[in-house]
Amino acid sequence: MAREVKEVEIKSRADTLKQRPWPASPPPSREEVAKVYARRKAEEFGAWCEDNLWFHKRFDKPEALQGVRVLEVGQWRLGNMFAGSLLAELGAEVIKVEPPEGDPVRKYTPFGREEYMLKDPETGEPCGLEFIHEMRNKYSVTLNLETPEGRKLYKGLAARADIIFEEYPPGYMDELGIGYRQLSKINPRLIYCWIGVLGQWGPEKDRVSKFGQWMLDPFAQAACSFIHNTGYPDDFLPRGSGGDPTRSGVWLCDYVAGEQAAVNALAALYYRDEKSGRGQFIEVTGAEAMLDILDFDISWYGFNESIKARTGAWDPNLNQYAWNPCKDGYMMIGGQTDRLWYRIGMCIERDLPQFGRLIHEDPLLKEMAARNALQALTKTYTLTAMWLRETNRVEAEEKLMEYEIAAGPLLYIDETCEFPHFKYRPWIYSIEDEHYGTLLYATATTSFQQRTPARVKWLGRPLGKDNGEIFIKYLGVGQRMQEVLKEKGVI
Amino acid sequence: MCDIIWCKKCNTVNYLDPYCFWNWEGKINCAECGEVYYIHMIQGHMYRGPEPRPGEKPDIMPLYADKPLEGYKNYLPGTEGRTRPYNCTPRHIYLGHADYRKFSIRNRPMRAWAPQPAAGGVAGAYGFYWDIKKLSPEVWEEYQEKIKKGEVRDW
Amino acid sequence: MTDPREVRLEDLPGPKSREELEDMKAPYEEYCRKLFDVGNEYVKPAALDGIRWMSCTMYIFTPHSVSNLAELGAEVIKIEMPRMGDPMRHTSPFNECYYYPLHDTRPKTGTGIGVLNANVNEYYITMDYHREEAKEPFYRLVKMSDGLTECYRPGTFDRWKQSYRYLQEINPRFIYVWGGGFGYGPKAFGGSYDILGQSHAGLASITGFHEDFGGHPVKHTNWCIDWYSGTQITVAVLAALYWRRKTGLGTMIEFSQVQAATRCTGYAVPLYGRFGVVRQRWGNWDTQLCVHGIILCGKSDYPDEKNPQLRNEARYVMVSAFNDPDFKELCNIIKRPDLYEKYKTHKQRVEAEAQVEIYREIEKWAADKSRSEVVRILTDAGILAAPVKNDKEVYDSEHFRQRGSVRWLDDPMMGDVLCHSSFSCGLLSETPRRKFWDFRPVGADNIKVYHELLGYPMSTIKKWYEENLI
Ligand SMILES: [Zn+2]
Repeated sequence: MAREVKEVEIKSRADTLKQRPWPASPPPSREEVAKVYARRKAEEFGAWCEDNLWFHKRFDKPEALQGVRVLEVGQWRLGNMFAGSLLAELGAEVIKVEPPEGDPVRKYTPFGREEYMLKDPETGEPCGLEFIHEMRNKYSVTLNLETPEGRKLYKGLAARADIIFEEYPPGYMDELGIGYRQLSKINPRLIYCWIGVLGQWGPEKDRVSKFGQWMLDPFAQAACSFIHNTGYPDDFLPRGSGGDPTRSGVWLCDYVAGEQAAVNALAALYYRDEKSGRGQFIEVTGAEAMLDILDFDISWYGFNESIKARTGAWDPNLNQYAWNPCKDGYMMIGGQTDRLWYRIGMCIERDLPQFGRLIHEDPLLKEMAARNALQALTKTYTLTAMWLRETNRVEAEEKLMEYEIAAGPLLYIDETCEFPHFKYRPWIYSIEDEHYGTLLYATATTSFQQRTPARVKWLGRPLGKDNGEIFIKYLGVGQRMQEVLKEKGVI
Repeated sequence: MCDIIWCKKCNTVNYLDPYCFWNWEGKINCAECGEVYYIHMIQGHMYRGPEPRPGEKPDIMPLYADKPLEGYKNYLPGTEGRTRPYNCTPRHIYLGHADYRKFSIRNRPMRAWAPQPAAGGVAGAYGFYWDIKKLSPEVWEEYQEKIKKGEVRDW
Repeated sequence: MTDPREVRLEDLPGPKSREELEDMKAPYEEYCRKLFDVGNEYVKPAALDGIRWMSCTMYIFTPHSVSNLAELGAEVIKIEMPRMGDPMRHTSPFNECYYYPLHDTRPKTGTGIGVLNANVNEYYITMDYHREEAKEPFYRLVKMSDGLTECYRPGTFDRWKQSYRYLQEINPRFIYVWGGGFGYGPKAFGGSYDILGQSHAGLASITGFHEDFGGHPVKHTNWCIDWYSGTQITVAVLAALYWRRKTGLGTMIEFSQVQAATRCTGYAVPLYGRFGVVRQRWGNWDTQLCVHGIILCGKSDYPDEKNPQLRNEARYVMVSAFNDPDFKELCNIIKRPDLYEKYKTHKQRVEAEAQVEIYREIEKWAADKSRSEVVRILTDAGILAAPVKNDKEVYDSEHFRQRGSVRWLDDPMMGDVLCHSSFSCGLLSETPRRKFWDFRPVGADNIKVYHELLGYPMSTIKKWYEENLI
């Protein structure tokens, strides 16, 4: 898989838009990696793992969810898309139902840059990378659900579906007569999962603006105290310069809601097939799915009225467990138990004798739990950063690895894409897509399996590309009728 | 020099926490003797200073300081006039050690204090019932009082 | 366009019962409330009743992957080191909150709230599995379970003859999960934590304020990569169970949390791959939509509170008005209609320089207002805005209470515990998720499992306990 390395010459802005060579350097060879296993006397086990879990064998193996049919019906958000992706990567047939003008996510592009969008090979319509990256192994059909014919066709699809991931404003589908309560009458085996931000019912349910604009993440992050608890305190940095409550760089609640939707839907599928023969109604929201994984934060309030503080890149529960600035960026170091904590110190002390004097000899830092006090964090990390400012990330990682410490540089995206382990697995990989050319992408997290590994078969899909196949296959609607429907704005 | 200020006047170590001071210029006081130092830090390095500036007003205080040569006597964050308050502490009371509690914020018993009387069976096995009446009768009493006073709430 | 196979709603006979008729007519919200019936979860069936899983896990990541199964009804046996337990039991924010006892022999040591919600509804046993005597009970458990999840460094379970290589011989239906940082490859033996995933995989580099604004990369407040990656293991496990129904065969799943952190970076990887552009941090604004960000208001909602967390921080509002009419209205409200004239199209206002100007002007407008005033004014005008809530406000939220996502539990061992998990990861009308208990003392179910399930006499259990095997 090592490819020839091409040089890029940049003479004008247009040159910067050219395809990059990836990987810039080849990943380590299997022989080199075998030596890593051997050093730990795990040569045989390492070889067994590579034989049985090897990424590049994924297309030699069957798909776990073959035969499961999923409709993905939503706009603007990533929750339904991520839920659909997780199942599609594992072999389900996922059909994304879009309005004839397409899901607005197709138009997302950073800072409005159209030059970072890829053109639909047929229509020339630009499509954003956010959409392409999450449109994995999915078919695209168009349906205008606001027309009676569109709804009728949709019902036909729903009658044959196992799972629907729906993400429209609360009650919208129900009002159109195609919500769970109507579709479950047509198809009692249907597992219908609504995904949203705050809920489709309750005093603070999802709203749309007066002009019809939807609520999108990070509204969910704001509602569950995630944002309030994330970021640097204004004791570290001024407000407006990072000393503020901070949102995740990504729409994290959408991803978290999407994966819980996938879990709940698959559990319901198991229950249907194993026991009841019936589907059910599921509701997952971004704010609540995040609340589920918000550590202990709200429970802590119930314990003694604590409101969690922001501590930036330091974790208030563990010492050491943080990243701090270093010579060429930021370095993450973790190790909490005495065994690991003192090993970190021994490593640093080699270069910075003062560390031993001020940290190891301090009686207040001898006990593991006591090291989590705020002053203990301050002292430990001040001294650690004194070492780090002289050390770059690679050096720090190498030195700490000698002491078997879980440490890693804070990587930027280009560095992530070129990190040897990431390329070896690979977690970053390229695909020659039928429509959009060579694309670099983050591989499916469930790709590494003995029997039924997940896989990415294609990325992105021109709008309505699969109308022809899906409408004839599932609805018996032929080409002539499709032309009529298109004319009427139904598809 | 580096990003601690080891005050020569009083032998106190003032810690300059990395995120606040990584790039920073201004005056900071010693937590113990109050001596004011001018520092200019770039990428964690002391580019200039610490230069004593007696009589001048500090721009900032350290977050923590201690005296390694005197049994690690220390100034915790938020010591008035000496160290910076950490306004982002979880709440206005800050302990740094276990907060023993017998009741949750709605005044129902919770097992959050030590030591707890032994209650397990063979091999550390436990049932599915906290017999508070038997194991901690005084907490049970207190709970009954709270019920009487109407302090036990649903939320 | 009629399809003979299609069943049309119009063709169906009318409602079959009075109840059904009422259901079909009920206002939608009422219908949802009735169907989900929050508060009565326990009387409904559970989806995974009958599945038994072994959890040889520690910390948050792999425990959570199993906890998801336990919330859905699987019976889970959590195996911990004798007397010590999961290291996560020894973590608590600023060392302050513990429940007692950890174990009868250590009456002064507690279980820290760091472990909350990671291993719910499980049975807790102890086993020092690298000792030879532990092999037999371990294999007995494997024979009667559906699967196992472990998180030890690669090769460790293999050395102890309990890797999938061995277990698939004992139980071909067995589903075996290894979860960790890296998996096979050059960094196979690298340890991993949530924070390593955040930093190593690119997520941290795109979270927080840009250095041009004086910011640094920010750690997500929770161990989000542990939790979020764990849930993706659950997805894989449920798919494997589905496939096993057809084939009768188990599988091995190797899952790396570091990879999962890259998976959620959206356009970042393809953008780099195609154009060599490295996605950067953009603070509290959005790179793809504008206006869609968080602003600072001049006044707190709790100016007189003693707690600085309330007094100083209750000043942030999430504002969203990226569509043309919404943005126009927003500009009118802040009395800057010229901004709308200047940035009429979304493409214009989402440019970086435009964002800097627009948010600055909104914050100027909000400088003499409190958070709730700003939210009220915008909401009254039909614009989407919401306060950035803190833990207290989440606790006080009527919305979460009605939906059961924040509720008090009477834990059978620990007493009154506030719960914001399990129920909150989704409402299921037929087989709701639920929590019976959060965690139990180390080894609390030794008799239940070793004696009642595996048939060892009490004298053997006592002996093992004295020998520190369990
Ligand atoms: Zn001094």
